Amino acid sequence: MIARNFEYSTPSTLAEALALLADGEAKALSGGMSLIPLMKLRLASPDLVVDLSGVPGLNGIVETADGIEIGAMTTHHDVESSALLRSKCPLLAETAAAIGDVQIRNRGTIGGAVAHADPSADYPAALQALEARVKIAGVAGERVVSAADFFVDTFTTALEPGELVTGVIVPAEAEGTGVNYTKMLQPASGFAIVGIAVRVRKDGSLARIGVTGLGAKSYRAEAAEAKLAAGDVDGAAALVADGVEANADIHASAAYRSQMARVYGARAMRAALNRAA
Amino acid sequence: MKISGAHKLPLGRDRAFRAMQDPAVLAQCMPGCESLDRTGEDEYAMRMKMALAAVTGQFQGKVRIADSAFPESFRLIVEGSGKVGFMKGDGLVRLTEAAPDSTEVAFDGDVHVGGTIASVGQRLIDGTAKLMIKRFFDKLAAKAAEVE
Amino acid sequence: MATTTTTPTKTESLIGKRLRRREDPRLITGNATYVDDIQLPGMHYACIVRSPHAAANVKKVDIQAAAAMPGVVAVFTGEDTKDVGPVPCGASLPGLRVPYHHILAVGRVYFVGHPVAVVVAADKYVARDAAEAVEVEYEELPAVADPEKALAEGAPAVHPEWPDNVSFNFHQEGGDCAAAFAEADVVVKQRITSQRLIPTPMETRGVVADWKTGDRSLIVYSSTQIPHLLRTLVAGMLALPEHKTRVITPEVGGGFGCKLNVYAEEALMGFVSMKTGKPVKWIESRRENYLCTIHGRGHVDYFEIAAKNDGTILGMKLKLIQDLGAYHQLLTPAIPTLSVLMMPGLYRFRNITADIVGVFTNCVPTDAYRGAGRREATHGIERMVDLLAAELKMDPAEIRLKNFIQPEEFPFATATGLTYDSGDYALPLRKALEISDYTGLRAKQVEARAAGRLMGVGMSTYGEICAFGPSPATPAGGWESATVKIEPSGKVTVLTGASPHGQGEETTFAQIAAEELGIDVDDVVVLHGDTAIVQYGIGTFGSRGTAVGGPALYYALQELKAKIKRFGEMMLDSSDVSFAGGVCVCNQTGRSCTLAEVAGAAHRAMKLPPKTEPGMQATYFWEPPNFTFPFGAHIVVTEVDRDTGQIEVTRYVAVDDCGRIINPLIVDGQVHGGVAQGLGQALYEQAVYDDNGQLLSGELTDYAVPKATMMPWVESHHTETPSPVNPLGVKGVGEAGTIGCSPAVVNSVVDALSQLGVRHLDMPLTPEKIWNAIQGGRA
Ligand SMILES: Cc1cc2nc3c(=O)[nH]c(=O)nc-3n(C[C@H](O)[C@H](O)[C@H](O)COP(=O)(O)OP(=O)(O)OC[C@H]3O[C@@H](n4cnc5c(N)ncnc54)[C@H](O)[C@@H]3O)c2cc1C
Repeated sequence: MIARNFEYSTPSTLAEALALLADGEAKALSGGMSLIPLMKLRLASPDLVVDLSGVPGLNGIVETADGIEIGAMTTHHDVESSALLRSKCPLLAETAAAIGDVQIRNRGTIGGAVAHADPSADYPAALQALEARVKIAGVAGERVVSAADFFVDTFTTALEPGELVTGVIVPAEAEGTGVNYTKMLQPASGFAIVGIAVRVRKDGSLARIGVTGLGAKSYRAEAAEAKLAAGDVDGAAALVADGVEANADIHASAAYRSQMARVYGARAMRAALNRAA
Repeated sequence: MKISGAHKLPLGRDRAFRAMQDPAVLAQCMPGCESLDRTGEDEYAMRMKMALAAVTGQFQGKVRIADSAFPESFRLIVEGSGKVGFMKGDGLVRLTEAAPDSTEVAFDGDVHVGGTIASVGQRLIDGTAKLMIKRFFDKLAAKAAEVE
Repeated sequence: MATTTTTPTKTESLIGKRLRRREDPRLITGNATYVDDIQLPGMHYACIVRSPHAAANVKKVDIQAAAAMPGVVAVFTGEDTKDVGPVPCGASLPGLRVPYHHILAVGRVYFVGHPVAVVVAADKYVARDAAEAVEVEYEELPAVADPEKALAEGAPAVHPEWPDNVSFNFHQEGGDCAAAFAEADVVVKQRITSQRLIPTPMETRGVVADWKTGDRSLIVYSSTQIPHLLRTLVAGMLALPEHKTRVITPEVGGGFGCKLNVYAEEALMGFVSMKTGKPVKWIESRRENYLCTIHGRGHVDYFEIAAKNDGTILGMKLKLIQDLGAYHQLLTPAIPTLSVLMMPGLYRFRNITADIVGVFTNCVPTDAYRGAGRREATHGIERMVDLLAAELKMDPAEIRLKNFIQPEEFPFATATGLTYDSGDYALPLRKALEISDYTGLRAKQVEARAAGRLMGVGMSTYGEICAFGPSPATPAGGWESATVKIEPSGKVTVLTGASPHGQGEETTFAQIAAEELGIDVDDVVVLHGDTAIVQYGIGTFGSRGTAVGGPALYYALQELKAKIKRFGEMMLDSSDVSFAGGVCVCNQTGRSCTLAEVAGAAHRAMKLPPKTEPGMQATYFWEPPNFTFPFGAHIVVTEVDRDTGQIEVTRYVAVDDCGRIINPLIVDGQVHGGVAQGLGQALYEQAVYDDNGQLLSGELTDYAVPKATMMPWVESHHTETPSPVNPLGVKGVGEAGTIGCSPAVVNSVVDALSQLGVRHLDMPLTPEKIWNAIQGGRA
């Protein structure tokens, strides 16, 4: 398990990083938890690896008028244990805690996870439910894209070649919102067979359901949300997997995955409702 | 692994059929296709570079068209191999007229993948194959205007 | 001569003491030396080019580009190595078809991962790059990966010379099965599979070969369970004199049977070191480990059991289809024969008939994996007994108790020709029933069912055959050896021929030696795993380390004790001397001398007792008169999630009888580890090949080895029924947990689902499979 030869650089500004990444064969390195295994298997062989760990301003969690901004280099562990997120956006903290194992959470970053867009990754479910926005920087400038537009397909995002995710913006949760992230684990890898993120208020003013693992990309189950808003959990659960072409692999067939999306959907909704005021 | 699906092309059936067998069009629409050279009757040699997220791989292979029944169906046989493994696809492509200037292209076949990509990427093969096919049809649809 | 008056102080026995493993500090602080830690001056690195196809003709291997890369020293293909002897198969069966197993493929590849070429380079990075630059042209051929499909008419031939894909047929019978089945009130049949598993030791395999051009001798460092056998066989393959071949086994990070083997790479590294004149290292990657190191299990079993209406078992039939893979590794064809040997389990019936078909497939070979053969047998028997109990509406504990061989019937001759040494089979079962509060559990189950929950209680009793074994019954010798050296200062070195690798014998053997010599356990060191230091030995596998290596040590110690006594008599000038507690005491005068004084005198040799050599060393080769037969009972409580099919093991009670226990802490550790691997088989693990022979579970991200968080709390208890086979009374415990576990878990889950009409489930019990069974049951 040895990677092909590559160059390695540690830029100290974002501009420098973006300039290096403008070459199509370069790859950004954040936590390395997805990139390094692919390189060792020789499924990825970038000519240049651009380590983002020295770029200032990408790490940390701050509250702004706009919401809570999590820098791209913030590790899963830091999200999981952030007092700010735990009190104001517990769904994200809870989702981070469900990722992989301790080592993965200590290294892996939210920017890397979002950019990688693994169809079974956990964060995307929460980001869909949170209607989060992804901050992107490129040589041409900066832009912000909604989670719904950011995740395009299997391992495919709205990022243009050479662009970087610099952060994720999530809303501070209003008082009384109940949230929950529940996943069915694939026992070998720990990734989600399905993962469901829910935000709900009892008065029906908010109902959001984000789904990961089921199809080619994460999504918001909007038809189900309408039922949930009306307090019909079973009706909502029945719609969670609707219209989605489910993934199949040696761990779960498409039919079973869809059914688990409904079962876990109902569980996540009930758990969120229990916490809602 | 079985793979099947259907996509719409904004082309009449005859044009759609010809487009899908036109090497120049194929070369432009196949994701990552770097070259497509005719090696015989309905047979082409192909080089492609697959890129999906961090994964990249170079493949060399063959594309063969058989059992061509204009304008209804043909068999497409694709074989490629590279450092990370190999793939083979064999499927029947069927065209039905959905409306004037709209053709539904349905495919149904077998994909066989081997090497590193099979043994470490089994959960991704299905999704990746579907994505690649979707990209092909999206590109072809976008190029419809240029098709004769 | 210094003599003092002392009284023996050591009274507390070391046998049965819960001592911590002395191996552990170095292992858990990263101070152990594994093969990959070995650095030799001028060392080079090998990387192996492997087939991505399960079956293909090799049309051309173009090494030019690879050979031209800077840093590459040599590239070899099957043409270069074809004169090296074949990878050996040590097992023999009548009519066995043995394909010639070249160390590098010649002309054709037979499974994904089949080695085709090897690159040697100055560093491992260059070696890996150069391996990628070797161009191999394949002509793909049809493959078959499933043993039942391989037997079907028209299946692709794995080896063209044997189009039926059959390597051997093996028949064994005892008693009169036809009569037993004719007489039966009830016959139950079931197809039961034991899926292919990947042993997954934490340390993959690794080899360093060091050819000493000047001496024309070879040192092979290998992560193996059998250093001496490996030396004999590798020397043979390379046509080297055995005495000029040395195998060193540093720390082994887990074997579980998969390193009870001789692999192509072990000879191949010797070959490349000899050709290049350089020390060469090869470390297996996890991917290679999954593709190329043997797998375990791979059974499809068709069982039939015949019984009376009162539950008395009369006989059993078995048709066993063994997935062999493409080749025979060291013991491949022998493993299923162990299943047949243990078919009677703990039960008194004496009518069996069994047929094995050994089938070639385009997969990596199967071979010994923890519990080898016996786990498959136990799984089948214990499932069949539960199926029978269900058929007769009997309690599973009751039907077992009714059919057990009784304590007074030992030694018991089985229908398969074995003689069970000792046992009281009801003892662990009754203990497990009591500890688990079986009656209470059944009451809780009634409540759970009323509440709509799916709770299951399952049990398995097991008997295993261990301590391989009497030499006539084993492919190589079945004895074991020990040397004990008492150094001039009285400190003790033990050299064991059993090459322990994680079983803790550095601790248990020190306990045995210290107990026998009456000295402090820290005054004993146990060495193993270097053929230049340790006398010939057989190795550690089949739960034999303590059960065969232990008695060898015991008898070596007895020889030394006699010699110590002779020196004591001389030094104390008395014929009435006893040696105990590390001290020789004259029973007349009370004068004494310590072991250190005796050892010093024996080495100084100013004066010697009559007919006595100087020095203080003894070697013993012990031939066991029989196998040993440990037994036990496991009870498992499960709760099944109706909506998802997920299983939670809510209680796990294991009562194992492994004869006399030397170190309970180590025995518990062996049970826990065994149970973890048993749970892996029951619930999670499976090697998945697709129809074309591609291994889809090719990494730890898809092959689910249980993690610590997936383990239930294992309540490990024991009964102790000493074995009469050896003076220590020990039986062996390395595989017990694995053997007892999977049937207990499956029985428990079937019990949970029985109210839905489910009567059998094959492993692994994945949530989807269980969910489907629930849906089927509901309909
Ligand atoms: C054993 C294991 C178990 C895991 N289990 C889970 C799980 O249960 N759930 C889960 O969600 N994930 C899981 N993961 C994945 C883990 O969360 C990764 O950390 C994450 O997917 C990638 O983040 P990273 O920081 O490590 O990214 P990297 O590996 O550094 O990068 C991944 C990809 O994103 C690109 N990239 C990195 N940063 C940026 C950026 N800022 N902008 C644009 N592109 C960028 C890289 O070039 C690369 O292509 C697991 C991983 C492993 C190895």
